[in-house]
Order: sequence, then C-alpha cells, then structure tokens
Amino acid sequence: MNNASHLSLILDLSPSQWHLSAAPSNTHPLPFKTFLSHVLTFLNSHIAQMHENSLAVFGALPGKSIMLYSSSDVSGGPEVPADSNAYRPFKLMNSIVARNIEAELELLETMGDEPPVALVGALTKALCYINRITHTTSGSSAEDSAVAADPRILILSVSPDLSSSYIPIMNSIFSAQKNKIIIDVCKVYGADTVFLQQAAHLTGGSYIDLERRDALLQYLVMSFLPPPTMRQFIAVPKQDKVDFRAACFCHKNIVDIGFVCSVCLSIFCSPVPVCSTCRTKFPMKTLQRLNASRPAVPSANGSANGTPRPPSKPATPMSASLR
Amino acid sequence: MISEGRGGRRGGRTSSARASTSMTTRHALLPFLQSQSQTALTRLYQRPSSCLSIFRLLGPIERQIVMNLLWLEASVPTSALASWVSREGKTPFDDALATLTALHILANAAVKLTLSPAFKTSMRHAVTGGGASASFGVPADLDEKRAPPSVEALDNHALERWETILHYMVSSGTGQTPSRPSQGVLYLLQRSGLMAPNIGQQLQITSPGFQFLLHTPHAQLWELLLQYLQMVEERQMDLVEVLSFLFMLSTMELGRDYSTEFLSETQKAMLEDLRDYGLIWQRKANSRRFCPTRLATTLTSSLPPLPTAAGTGAGSSGQAQGFIILETNYRLYAYTDNPLQTAVLNLFVSVKSRFPNLVVGSITRDSVRKALANGITAEQIISYLTTYAHPQMRKNKPLLPVTVQDQIRLWELERNRVKSQEGYLYTQFASHADYEYVLNYAKQLDTVLWENSAKRCFFGRLEGHANIRGFIERRTGGNPGVNG
Repeated sequence: MNNASHLSLILDLSPSQWHLSAAPSNTHPLPFKTFLSHVLTFLNSHIAQMHENSLAVFGALPGKSIMLYSSSDVSGGPEVPADSNAYRPFKLMNSIVARNIEAELELLETMGDEPPVALVGALTKALCYINRITHTTSGSSAEDSAVAADPRILILSVSPDLSSSYIPIMNSIFSAQKNKIIIDVCKVYGADTVFLQQAAHLTGGSYIDLERRDALLQYLVMSFLPPPTMRQFIAVPKQDKVDFRAACFCHKNIVDIGFVCSVCLSIFCSPVPVCSTCRTKFPMKTLQRLNASRPAVPSANGSANGTPRPPSKPATPMSASLR
Repeated sequence: MISEGRGGRRGGRTSSARASTSMTTRHALLPFLQSQSQTALTRLYQRPSSCLSIFRLLGPIERQIVMNLLWLEASVPTSALASWVSREGKTPFDDALATLTALHILANAAVKLTLSPAFKTSMRHAVTGGGASASFGVPADLDEKRAPPSVEALDNHALERWETILHYMVSSGTGQTPSRPSQGVLYLLQRSGLMAPNIGQQLQITSPGFQFLLHTPHAQLWELLLQYLQMVEERQMDLVEVLSFLFMLSTMELGRDYSTEFLSETQKAMLEDLRDYGLIWQRKANSRRFCPTRLATTLTSSLPPLPTAAGTGAGSSGQAQGFIILETNYRLYAYTDNPLQTAVLNLFVSVKSRFPNLVVGSITRDSVRKALANGITAEQIISYLTTYAHPQMRKNKPLLPVTVQDQIRLWELERNRVKSQEGYLYTQFASHADYEYVLNYAKQLDTVLWENSAKRCFFGRLEGHANIRGFIERRTGGNPGVNG
C-alpha cells in the first residue's frame, strides 16, 4: 500500500467551454485561472504524498492534444529562480505547466472556428505514456517496477460528448482495462458525458459531477488523491447509475436501441443489409423481421439527436443495446 | 535432573528484529517525535519544510487525512470522516487518528477533527509555496568562480564517508586497520552501542553492530541519526533546530549549493557532524556554502534507493542494488569488488576464492553459526540476501532457494533447543497424596513448568514460589520438604 503511484492528468482546455464556465450567470462561476490554481495545488499534493510519486499532465485542446508536463523529463524546462520559500519540485512543475498552457492558448487565438477538443488524443497519449513507464522500469528489476505501479488517469472534463469519438474512446477504455489502469473523471462544467461515465465505470474509477464548483480542490483531494490501492480502505464516491447507451457506427448518434452485427459487433441505428465494417451480408428475411419489430413511432428512435435520457432496454430478441 | 537449565539464551533477541521489520510500516523517527513535548513540536511545525518532511514520513491513510483537512477552515466531526472509510479501513483509520493526535498534528481527535493551527499554516505554505520562512534552504549566490560539484562527485563523497564508517565497524577486531572515521563518528558509534571498547581500549563491534551492518542503508542512516538526536540534549543543542535542519536538508536539491549565512549557530555546529557522516559536502571546513548529498536528499523517501551507498563499489557500473547469486547447493557468487560488501558477506559466508570482480563462497553450518554467535539472526541473513540479490535472481520465485532459507532457519533453531527459566524445584514430599495436593494448588496458580509423579517432584515458576511455600507451610505447620 505504501508504494509510489503514477497520475496522468488530462485537462480539457476548450476555450469556449471555459468562457461559458466563467460566466457570472452560473451558480458557481469558475474562471479558468481559479481552476488552474486549484489543479496545481492538487498536483502538488500528489507529489507531496511521496517522493517517488510520478506525474504527467496532458492537455486536450481544440483539434490537438499535447503533453504539458512529465515528471520523468523535466530537463529543457525554464530555469526557475531558486526560492527559499518553496519546495523546488513543486515550483518547477507549476511553472512548466502554466507556461505550456499559456503558450498553447496563445497559439489558439489565431484560429477562427473552434474544432472540438481532442480528448481521445490526450487519453491515448496518457495510455501510451503509462505503458512506456511501466515497461521501461519493469525491465530493469522487480524492485523498480513498484515505482510505476498503481497508475491512474484523471480527466477533468468541461466539454460535452463528441459522439464521433465513441469508438476510439471505447478502444481506450478496453486497453486501460487490460493494463489495469483506473480512469477517474471529474465533470467540472456542463452536462454529464455518457462516454466518460462508462470509462470510469468500466475501469473501476469514479465519476464525479461537481455540485459546488468553488470547492473544486476539496473534491479533488478527497476523491482523486487516494491511489487505487488505498481505495479498499477509503470509500471513494462512485456513480450509482451509469448511462450505458452507445453511439451507432453509421451516423455517430447515441442510440437507445441499436442493431448489432452478429459477426463483428458493430452497432447501427437502423437495420442495414450489409455491415459497413466487416462487409457481412444479412439475409433479407432478417432485415424485414427486424424492421417490423422496430418501435413504430419514429420519435421512439429519436434519441438520435443525442439528448440524454434514462436508458430504456426493450426486450427485442434480435436487437441489442450495447453494454 | 531437570531440563530447564540456566545455560540460556537471551530473551531480548527478537525485539530488534521486530523493530526492523516494522520499519516498512512505520518510520523509526515517528516514535521519537511523539515523545517530544507539544511546544517543541509546535515550534517545529512553524517551518514548511519540516511539515512536508514529517508528512512524507506518515503512513498513506494518515497523509490522506491530513490532506482532507488541510483546506477546511472549520473542524469536521470525527464521525463524518469515519463514515468515509470502508469497513476494512476502520482499524487503520483509528490508528492513523491516534498517531496524528500523538504528533499533535490533529488538535483533538475525540469529537471534532481539525489540524493544529501551526501545522495547517505551514503545510499550506509548503504545498502552495509562499510565506517568508526560508525553510527550504537559501541558495548560495550563483556566479562565483567555483561551480558547485557535480552530482557524481557528491555521490562519491557520500559513498566514501559512509563506507568508511561501515568498513571501520566491520573490520574492527580482525587485525586490519582501515582508515578511521572522525572522533565524532566514533563517539556516536560507541554511544549507540554498535561498538564497544574491549580490554585493550580498542573499539570493537558489538552484536547490535553486526545486525546494523545487514540493514538497508536507509535504515542504517536513520538509526545513526536517531542516536544523534538522542545526544542532542546532552550537547546543549536545540532539538528543534537540529530536526528542522535535517528536514530542510531532505527537501533540498541535489547538486545545488546553499548558503550557510542564514543558519542558526546550532545548525552551523551541525555542519561538521553531518560532513563526517557524508550527508553534506563542503569545500573547506569554514566554507560559507554547502551541498547536500544524496544521503541527505533521500532522507524522507520511503523507498531506500540511495544508489550511492547501495551500489557496487566502483559507483560507475550502472547495476546498483543486486550483486549476489545464491544457488540451491549453498554456493554463493557475489559480483563485487567492494571491500565493505566482501567484509559483510564474510560475516556469514565462508569465502572460498576471490577474483577481481567476484567473490565465491558457500553458506555452511559453521559460517552461519559464527554469524548467529555474533548476534545476527537468520531473518537478517535472509533479508540481506534478498535485498542484494542479483537481477538474475529476481526471476526466481521464490527469490532465494527454499532449501537454503529453511536450512539457515534450522541452524538458528538448533541453538534454541534449550530455554532457560528461573524457578524452584519441589521434591521430597512425604506422601503421594501430599504431592498431589500441592501440585494441584500449583496448577491452579498456573506456575507448574514440569512435573514427574514417579519421583514426586515438580518445578514451579519463580513468581509462584511465595504462594506455594506459604501453602506448604500452612499445611505441614512446620518445616516442609521443600528444596529451594
């Protein structure tokens, strides 16, 4: 239990969402500056826990994702003037993260239209990074592998679901499961995201929707600071109900009832004669039967517009909603 | 006639072994801190670096509790926080609260939880940076003509100092004369009972000293430092100053030099001692700048990496840690050219041959019995072999051959066949009924260790003697047939 742990933090840096979040019309407006100071304090607490704890910070920006900081590679950072009142590793990390975010946001301002944030890119980078550190250390000796044990990813999300990223997010979840990496999600602003809920649920992490956004730091410290090994002693809040709906492969819509290819398990919002993924041809008879068994009212299928609703699972034998 | 002879073994043997295993769960410094007064601790908590270092010495649940309470202004009912631990976590949680209260980090844990104000303020400063305590060390001005020494130079310095101490210990009494450590170090070794003067007033290693040699460098370092802290009062030094200086060192950065200008008098006096132990480096004794070495900067890490002290003697070869290969046929190959490691191995291995980078030997009954006679336990031998096992050995599961492990333990048990217990032998009872009667009484008192009804005698514990004697006297009303 007293092993070092690794934390990969993914920051959602969508300028438009942060602009909305800071608007005074919110019950608890949270400007980005305040958010960042809370997060940096949280990261300091993570490193303070143990000398050997490692840390990586990734940013999901509109259209691209970058690594903002990694504790295994601090060289090349700015020369931080020594300060006798601050613990140097903290100061170094904070200044690198802040400087990199600033530089990236500066670049953004030149762009006009804002593409959706590359959350998947950041998530994949985080997974690859964890994979790398666990492999390089376990290669040398068994003692060192304890250093990188206990990896986890924390996503601080402000953007809504991007239904086109359903498949890559699912794939990331599966690889995280395989590598026993926990994905924690904190929804700092905006409505619940279905995909990230599933990510937290499937990897054994916790998903938290902030109620008091001005108390962000306290939420972070109490729920996301304990490393996975400690969570058997400390009850970390988990969501009681999870939205398990999936997005179809054809239109990338979130569906209540999906039609699943019996060969490759691709999901479609309506019965198709040929599977677009594996080119399997389905018999005409099945299609007719499926079409007949579909709910008659088109509005029942109308979750295609992606509005959140509690999952309904009709017992249609040939159709399946993905779990 | 009676098997409980007096040629016994000392009973206190296991206590030190237990203390070393509990190191993994609880840091050795914490009990020492707990024994300090509240005012001393509050003074210590004024400095953010001390708070951060102590925080790192705590257990994981304790750290989490501190973090939960750190940013709260109001106090939290204990039951509220307790509802947040799972059922398995109940005992560790209560223990953690007790530890924190004993350290005066928590103000009072009975009803409401709140951090003590001094600790809270300093810990906040430590995490966010700020305040004006200058507790993380004032760096020396940069651009002088002399650059600070490289990290390797510092490592070599620390290694050389540390190994001088250990090597002096291990080769004392063997006739060799390695370089002597300074007078202060010798005094410390003597005070801590690791070495004692023999008849010729030569310092010789004691049985705790042998055990000390088999500990990890991290544990060894803290053992000496704790001893140093015990001596502080006698030397009229301020304990808080000493502790906060050690903690400050542990938060400093390797390879950077710091100014001595802002140190107190006590701390300046400490520089000399710490230089002898290899914790810091100074160009000259009166230099106005100093560099912490890796021994100092890893003081509060929980893993004992200390690559300098644990590494092979050359220090250049990358394969730090492990160098021992142990086979099922009790043969042992140690890839080392370090005289210290060879000497330590020599404590429990009969060395057959030595090559420039390899020592070949075997673990025999005689060699292990020699070690046992020196006060080293079987567990310590096994844990030493485990700690320094070669990376190749790490593929084995279990790491050490079971036969060898078991045999070492058996050899230890061999010495524990006889157990001594003080007591009284009761014989020459007049009749068998008498004997039975007294024996029953003694059994009720639970003091009988051995009985033989054919010979009408039994052996009772020392504590029960007064009662039994009184009982017999009351019964016979005269001089009983008791043989004390």
